[in-house]
Parts: sequence; C-alpha cells; structure tokens
Amino acid sequence: MKIFTCEDSYEGKATCIYRAWEYALGLGQGAAGHREVGILREPIAQLDMFAEYVHIDGDPVITEKFTRSVRRISPVVYRNVFYALLSDCDEAVDAVYRYLILAFREGSRVEHMLIQPEVMHVMELSRNVSNESHKFREIARFTSVDRKVYVCHIEPKCDVSMLVADHFADRMPSEHWLIVDDGRRTAVIHPADGDMYVRQLTDEEFTVLGCAEYEEDDYTDMWRTFFRAITVEERRNYRCQRNLFPIWVRKHATEFMQRDQ
Amino acid sequence: MVCMNEIITGLTTKEKLNILADAAKYDVACTSSGVNRKGQRGSLGNSVSCGICHSFAADGRCISLLKVLMTNHCVYDCKYCLNRRSNDVPRATFEPDELCDLVIEFYKRNYIEGLFLSSGVLRDPTYTMQRMCETLYLLRTKYRFNGYIHVKTIPGASDELISMVGYLADRISVNMELPTEESLKRLAPNKSFGTILDPMGKLTSTIESHRLAVGKTARMERSGINRYLMGSIFNEKNLQKDLEAYKAELAGQCSRGTSQRTIAEVFTEGVDADKSSVDAAEMKEEAVYEIQEDSSSYILSRSSPLPVMFGDTDRRRAFAPAGQSTQMIVGASGESDYTLIHTAQRLYQRYDLKRVFYSAYIPINEDSALPALDTAVPLLREHRLYQADWLLRYYGFHADEILSETEPNLDQRMDPKCNWAVRHLDQFPVEVQTAPYDLLLRIPGIGPKSAGRIVRARRYGSLDFDSLKKMGVVLKRAHYFITCGGHMMYRIPIERDYIVREMTDMSRIENWQVAHQNEQYRQLTLFDIGLQG
Repeated sequence: MKIFTCEDSYEGKATCIYRAWEYALGLGQGAAGHREVGILREPIAQLDMFAEYVHIDGDPVITEKFTRSVRRISPVVYRNVFYALLSDCDEAVDAVYRYLILAFREGSRVEHMLIQPEVMHVMELSRNVSNESHKFREIARFTSVDRKVYVCHIEPKCDVSMLVADHFADRMPSEHWLIVDDGRRTAVIHPADGDMYVRQLTDEEFTVLGCAEYEEDDYTDMWRTFFRAITVEERRNYRCQRNLFPIWVRKHATEFMQRDQ
Repeated sequence: MVCMNEIITGLTTKEKLNILADAAKYDVACTSSGVNRKGQRGSLGNSVSCGICHSFAADGRCISLLKVLMTNHCVYDCKYCLNRRSNDVPRATFEPDELCDLVIEFYKRNYIEGLFLSSGVLRDPTYTMQRMCETLYLLRTKYRFNGYIHVKTIPGASDELISMVGYLADRISVNMELPTEESLKRLAPNKSFGTILDPMGKLTSTIESHRLAVGKTARMERSGINRYLMGSIFNEKNLQKDLEAYKAELAGQCSRGTSQRTIAEVFTEGVDADKSSVDAAEMKEEAVYEIQEDSSSYILSRSSPLPVMFGDTDRRRAFAPAGQSTQMIVGASGESDYTLIHTAQRLYQRYDLKRVFYSAYIPINEDSALPALDTAVPLLREHRLYQADWLLRYYGFHADEILSETEPNLDQRMDPKCNWAVRHLDQFPVEVQTAPYDLLLRIPGIGPKSAGRIVRARRYGSLDFDSLKKMGVVLKRAHYFITCGGHMMYRIPIERDYIVREMTDMSRIENWQVAHQNEQYRQLTLFDIGLQG
C-alpha cells in the first residue's frame, strides 16, 4: 500500500490524484492496481505502520491535464469533483479518486448511478460544499472602511471563499472589496471594475485586516436596530433561529457581535 | 399637520427605522426569489432566483429584504392592523433619499437582498403611492441599484402609479388579507374586494402581456416538477377543466344564492344586491361578460393591462419579473382552511400568483369584531396551511384532495400529506423500484428531490432501504407506505387506525413545539414560591 499525501489546495490534490493514478497503472495489475494506493490530505494525524507515504507537490501543468480529462467526462462530473476537492472532509480526495475510477469507465452515466457508494459519497461531499458556499453568501458581512473599501471575514469549514467571492464579483463589480478566510489566512481581493485574485496573507496584513472587522458606523448600528425591530415578539422561537443561523457562523455576523469588542 | 409633528420631534434615521421596521414586521412575505438578473458594471446588485436569506430574527423568520413602511401614518382603520388610525403609536415617514441611502449601504454590507416597501396611507392612496414610486425611481436611476425590490400596492392608487412601480420592482403584491367579502367588510371597512382584485387582475394581464412580448410563456414559470405531474393545478388541461367545473358550480350558485362568498366567486357572480362599491360592481359585470365571451381561454383575461409608462423603452424593462404575491390572515375571522386553500388555488390558477402567504393572526388590537387579546396565535394552523400550499405547488395535489366541505379543517395531528395517505390506503404500499414519479411524490417522507434521485438511480441497479435513506427519504414516515424490492421495512399492518396512531405519536413533540414555540419556560425555583434565602 502506497499513500500519497498532498497539501490542502486544488492544485496539490489534483496533482496527487494524477500521480497516484500513474503509479497504480504502473503496477501492471490493471484496475486492481487502484486498490494499492490511497490519498490523504496533510497534515496526517495517524500513520499506518504498513504503508509507504509519499508527499506530492502541486504542479500546474499536471493540474491542467487532470482538469482537462475530468471535464471531458461531463460538466456535472467536473462540478462534483471540483466541489468535492474543496471539502474539508479527510477522505474527500480518496473518495474523488474512487469516484473517478468509476467515472472514467462509465462516462457521463455515472452522474445518475447513486446506487454506487462511491458516487453517493462524492454527491454528499459536493452537496455539502455547495450548501456551505450558499450559507456564506447569505451570512458574509462586510464592514466599510471610510465607505471606500468593504472588508469581510469568514471562517468556513470547506474552502469556499472563492465560490463566495464569485457571487460578489457579479453583485458588486464596481466596488473595492475583499473577503478574508480567517482559518486559511487567504484573501480574495477585488478591485473596483477589475479582476479579483487570491493571495496568502502575511501576519502583518492579517492583523491589520482583523481590525477592520470591528469598524463601527451608523449603518452597523442601524442594522442592529432593524434586526431587533423586525422580530415579532409573539412568535419568538430561538430554536428555529439557531437551526437556521447556527452558533458557529455567528462569530463574524454584525448583528450578533457585541459592541464593546 | 402630520409632517409638522415630525419636524418638531426631529426623528433621526435610526429612530424612523425603528418605528417603520416595527410597523412592517407583521407583513409575512420576505422572499427574494423568482428572478435571475446579472450584475452590471457601474451598478450595484444582482438577483438570484433561488433567493437568499441573510439573517434570521429571534422569531426564526428569515430576513432577506429591508422590510419597512414608507410611512406608518394611516387614514384607514382596519381593525386588525397595528397602524390603524385609532391606535396611538409613534408615527414616522421616510424621505425617499434617506431610504435609498439606507438600502444601498445595507446592501453593500450584504445585510439585505433588497428592499421590501409597503406603507400606511398618508393623506390618500395616490399621494402615498407617489412617494413610494419616487423612492423606487431614485433607487433604480440615481443610485443605480440593480438588486431585488418587492413593493406592496396601496389599494385605491391609480393605474398609472401601479404600472410605474411594476416597471421598477421585481415583485409586486396586493394584500388580500381576508378571503371572504363579508369578513373584509367587517374588519377592513375602508377596503373592498374591488379595490383589491381590480389591481390584481390588471397586474396579471400586464405581466402576461410582457412575458409574451419577450418570448416567454404567458404564465409564470413554476417548479419544473409540475411538468411531470398530470394532476398538477398548473397543468393546462387541469386549468381548463377547473374553469369548466367552476363555471358549472357558478351557475348553480347564481340560482341558489349564497351567503358567504370567496374571492373568486365574487368575480364571476351575476348581479348582486349588496354591492359594496361601484368598482366591485363594474368588475363583476366585466368578468361575467368575459367568461361568456371567451370560454376557450383558460386564463380569464378579465382586466385590461395597465397603461404604458415609459414609452418605447417599456419593452426593454421587465414588468414585475418575479410575479405577484398576496397574503391572507389566518384566524382573525371565521374562515375554514377549506376556504383558504381553495382561495389560494384559485389565485394560483386565475391570477397566476407566484405565492400566497398565510399570516397567523396576532391579537394586537382590542376590538369586539376580533378575537380576544389573550387568544393563542394559531401557529400550528399556519404551519399546516403552508404545508398544504406546498402540496398544491410542488406535489400535484388539488385543494379538493386535501380538504372537503365535510372535513373543512386540516388535521392538526399530522401533516396534510400523511393525512391524505391514510385516507387512501388502498393505493399503498407503493413499490419504489417501479412506481411512477407522480406516485412517488405522494408518499409521505418522499419529496421532489428524493423522488428525482430514486427515479434516476433505479435505472442502474436495485434500491434498498439504506440507499433510500441516503437519498433523503424520511423513512420514519415513508416506511408505512412503501415496499422496496417487494418487502416492507418492518412487519406492520397496513391499517388506518394503526398508522394514524403511530403517526400521531411520532409528530406529537414536533406539533407541540410548533404550537408553543413562543412560550418561554423557566424551571421553578424556591424563590418563586416565596422562600427567601
């Protein structure tokens, strides 16, 4: 058993799948070769005594190749694979690998084969990512710095900041804004009327941007007023509120933040 | 005089927002769905058809739009309303620019998806509507706002103004409030069916003609599921059939004469002795006339479209692309669920409404015509009505299948779909491997998504209960009604009493929670009974 490990990025994961596949075919056992490999995302908590671990670095050329061949199967398969690779689930990359074995054999029919556990698993992963990205489209909150730049902090489980940013790029094309993923310390930066890009933040940048979250003005104040006023007291239902707006995502929501922070 | 007061008190925007959001909170609709619109460089905003909820208030309701009134001054005196003339509440009015600025800044911070603008009647309906129209116009032009706008029309406003806001807004709605003319007269003495149904009909015609002009179908898009459901209320054949049945019913009623009339009946009834307004009378005659004239059309083209407002550019603007909606109050007057659901179905079919909202009546005013102040809010009833409404729009049910005149109220113990299933046990159990899509949808615990997954997946292999569960089937409800590969999940009798008992027991906690969600509990402590430490 050989276990290929990769870092937490699309490029790393895609290259890793490609390399593992290459190795499995090189064993000369046909499809059975796939059983001899596994893929894990770093960091690895517990090592298997009988497995050999190989670290794979991301490679843009191979990523390109990987993407092209997956796209050729069908747009739905590509979407599922892409979304599943953004998932924070530990087995996600391996699940995608198993799914692709089936997908390359069956072609676009695989979209409907929910009976197969591999297909079901990837469907669940991609649904999870797509739900989470929708959730963050809803609850992302921007604060304004002098009404010029709008800064948003999110802390998603899956790597959805780019998906979230896509939505805002269409929505606010002529504004300067940026979305910071506090967990991964990356930021999607969108200059007004320009193209957005992702960058890894330095510690200093991260601290500076962190302050922007607590920027207060009349509008944050009025938003809290509105939030309270719109509640119908006779129907209050905290259970339902917690269901729909879970506590773990409230950290960065203006209406739930304490003012003295 | 009204404005004078405000100048003297000098309210800040924040204070106004507090008053006007508080006054708007009883309006239920807060959806931002139904229209897809791309953003544009230089403008702010887009719209996605699935709708986006941005927050959830302490009552668990979603906050999608900035829901405010233009003003809560009102010359009307509707009994159930917080803002009625005879109530002594703080009053305020937004300036158009003030409100626009609020919308833009809230939108940029992703607090809201757009604006929901309603209003009390300041001076007269036309003046009020003008102010609202001005706000929307500024928002769309000066502020280049491209997001979602939902606007309420004021009963009695002129056609020109309604037409104007239709071009500026995405969704437009006229509140029905009460489904029968009699309760409307009793509880909202300044409104009449005429002033509600007249704009509604005109809006339907205008939306229809605009849709046809840009090459869409005359009727609003409905959930794709309805294409596969022969029995759906939106199916063209059924629309036609319902119209026929309805005309027959009408003929019967005209000869009999009925005391309690619902909205759709008013429309088509013949000359009636107690007309509440000239408007209504004209409408009725017009409607009857048109029904006789054009019996082949399944949509009643009862009203002329609204006047053209923006000259040649009209056709380039969508007119209320997300359609219209309405809301009805539940529990303020004595209507049965049967009347409500029937009215809703007719609104969907005749007026092509996108949504009908139900609002559990909250006793805020003391009045002999209304339920007493300590009446419980009928939350569970409202919940059941929404469930029934979904059955109409997504599951291919008809109002007559859900309720009947002999059983006019929804069963509080279990949801309407379960209720239908236990009344039709002869059709169960259903074999999921082979059952057609529309039958799958009738099984409690299976919804449009899981039914779709079942249909796709079973082509490639046989299903089992475990895979059904993963596909999203709620087996705790479904297992009474399905077989998978010829077997039921447990050995149980398919017997009405048994299933009703099990179902009632299962939903007991859930029902209790819905009905008592607003009560707060605290453990009794020794201090409460007077023991001081």
